[in-house]
Amino acid sequence: MKVLVPVKRVVDFNVKIRVKPDNSGVDLANVKMAINPFDEISVEAAVRLKEAGQATEVVAVSIGPAKAEETLRSALAMGADRAILIETDDTVEPLAVAKILKCVADTEKPGLIIVGKQAIDDDSNQTGQMLAALLGWAQATFASKIELGDQKAAVTREVDGGLQTIEVKLPAVVTTDLRLNEPRYASLPNIMKAKKKPIEKRIAADLGVATAPRLKVLKTEEPATRKAGIKVTSVGELIEKLRSEAGVL
Amino acid sequence: MSVTPMKAGASILAGGPAKLIERCGEAVGGADKILQAAKAGVRIKIQEAGGIDEAQHAAHGLAWLATTVEGLRQMHDWAARLEGEGRFGEFEQLLLIAAFGEYAAQVASGIPMSQLEITRPDALGVPKADLRRYEDSVADLVAEGGSETVKARLGELIAVQPDAMTFGDTGLDETHAQIQDLMRRFCLDEVYPHAHEWHLKNEYIPLDVIAKLAELGVFGLSLPEEFGGMGLGKESMCVASEELSRGYIGVGSLGTRAEIAGELILHNGTPEQKAKFLPKIASGELLPTAVFTEPNTGSDLASLKTRAVKDGDVYKITGQKTWITHPVRADVMTVLTRTNPNEPGYKGLSMFLAEKPRGTDAEPFPAKGMTGGEIEVLGYRGMKEFDISFDNFEVPADSLLGGVEGQGFKQLMITFEGARIQTAARAVGVAQCAMDLGLKYALDRVQFGKPIYSFPRVRNKVVMMAVETMVARQLTYFSARQKDAGRRCDLEAGMAKLLGARVAWANADNALQIHGGNGFALEYPISRVLCDSRILNIFEGAAEIQAQVIARRLLEGAN
Repeated sequence: MKVLVPVKRVVDFNVKIRVKPDNSGVDLANVKMAINPFDEISVEAAVRLKEAGQATEVVAVSIGPAKAEETLRSALAMGADRAILIETDDTVEPLAVAKILKCVADTEKPGLIIVGKQAIDDDSNQTGQMLAALLGWAQATFASKIELGDQKAAVTREVDGGLQTIEVKLPAVVTTDLRLNEPRYASLPNIMKAKKKPIEKRIAADLGVATAPRLKVLKTEEPATRKAGIKVTSVGELIEKLRSEAGVL
Repeated sequence: MSVTPMKAGASILAGGPAKLIERCGEAVGGADKILQAAKAGVRIKIQEAGGIDEAQHAAHGLAWLATTVEGLRQMHDWAARLEGEGRFGEFEQLLLIAAFGEYAAQVASGIPMSQLEITRPDALGVPKADLRRYEDSVADLVAEGGSETVKARLGELIAVQPDAMTFGDTGLDETHAQIQDLMRRFCLDEVYPHAHEWHLKNEYIPLDVIAKLAELGVFGLSLPEEFGGMGLGKESMCVASEELSRGYIGVGSLGTRAEIAGELILHNGTPEQKAKFLPKIASGELLPTAVFTEPNTGSDLASLKTRAVKDGDVYKITGQKTWITHPVRADVMTVLTRTNPNEPGYKGLSMFLAEKPRGTDAEPFPAKGMTGGEIEVLGYRGMKEFDISFDNFEVPADSLLGGVEGQGFKQLMITFEGARIQTAARAVGVAQCAMDLGLKYALDRVQFGKPIYSFPRVRNKVVMMAVETMVARQLTYFSARQKDAGRRCDLEAGMAKLLGARVAWANADNALQIHGGNGFALEYPISRVLCDSRILNIFEGAAEIQAQVIARRLLEGAN
């Protein structure tokens, strides 16, 4: 079975982002980029399936600028077998991403697509669900455990009340949550090997998917800075302030 | 921390990056002329004094001047490369001009060889007229590069990313950046959180950390693929050593042992020795240690006394060794001995690949004819230092490196460039670690109602750390690239080590100063980094002998 793993190039989670002076978005000039952490978890999950003999091939796919090749190399260094880069310089919204991924899935015919539940840049949390709908496949979101069976998978999901285990028919789309695994370090030998693995490049526009954004970003702002707190002297005063100033009681 | 764009005035920066790089290129040319004049001047001084040892201050001053000029040249080349790749942003431009502001000024006004020893160009015989002309030619760079405006803006850019992987683009290509990323992540997870505890308790770096390093491929990095290595160059080795040393110098130094032993065997070993040792060194299965130094033999290896005497199919080694790093857990020692007592100098020396069983704290050396005692040290812990005595310690005759006696010194010399480069990289890593700590403390510590980072003398310390660390780094990368290109680089590698060690110590000392009393408390990691950084000026060639070697090379006509 082939596993398809979409990976997104995002600002490294260690970077403290800055808003552009004109509030048009986040300043990405000379900012360190990295693979989306949830996608890294997806790659790890797929590679583990391959190591366990349950998957035959792991294909990483990224939609983004030419530089996204670096992100694919990271996935290849972790153990993906080959990669596909769908090039575009546009901001691609979740629906367009899902449509492009559907095109890729139609050609690649994977038995399983493992998607990060969201990307840490726009936090949309939509792509996996939309992709499942477009493909007409089962979906299992927020996975903290994946067990493959015969033509089916048992997926444990992190839901509000605790853990829920569901069974889905394959092929399926699974979206990964933080606690599914701890991604490995790509070792130096694997980084070097990854340089020789193939990356197929295609232009997004050639897939016949309209990538023009449907949403218009009006303004990007930094969160308001937290105001300094005060010390109260008694429980009475605390309750009084919660009622009159905070307005939460 | 607010970020406001720098105001453009009648400045070099305002003229754009191309102009800035051009000005810096001219300044390198000017500094080169001072260096040439100093070379001529120092030659005369040495002649007059009757030898290099009699004119040491002048000779070493020349070495430091050449190192400073080379630092400027490498910063210029770094900037030009970045500009060509569209990576020469504001941060890098500011680093460049600040580096030229300081180092171009030092060329004329004095360079610190140590805090007590400032070398001045007139003492190197540079004519006053030449100096004045040079000072006039770089006055604009010195004024703007050293200005409060430049430092304040750099300070802002540094402060917005206190956890940055690098402060300014270091110019690495994609693969090297990936190696750096890998090592950084590994250190943040597995090394840095524990380093201070290992240091305080004088504990060994745990074997499972060593196993993980092996798994990552650290020990086989520069060994050829046929011996289980990766065949990567010295630049990769530098990047890995730097980041690992940023996590903890002991971890960054584990690779040195594999590097020295690996190079010794690769370049000098018999085919059997290569096949036997190299793959296991590359995989981390064999931990090597270097056994060269003796109580009365440090930099002066020609006076080495430990004897190896052939007796049938074994050699019996007898003598005292000291400052042996990580010997207890090592599996194989590269032991430098004298096999021919009738050859008092270098020629009588031979190197052995002596295997030994791993020991424990209770029984450090469970081998016949080998005993030793720990040397307690200020810093650079994690592997432990030992005095070792050999008393008829037997090694098989076929463990003579290369199978021929009398080659030991020559064999060792082949490894020195690589070892210097690696040590320079370790220095850069420690320097960066010190800056990381100083920066974070300065941002967190509030006095008089604001973070102490807001005070220019605190902030500018951090800024200069960023600037000097980048100079030392570029000089180190340059040596590594020279080595990778198959060019002789002993001069540049020595300079990189010399400068890197000074920068690491300055960063650690100043980062501790930023910590105030807290830095003096053992509890704070900067106290460790201060101790760790102190070794860099001593081992792998003390700063003085390093300057001596550089001076000799400069005067023999290199460059």
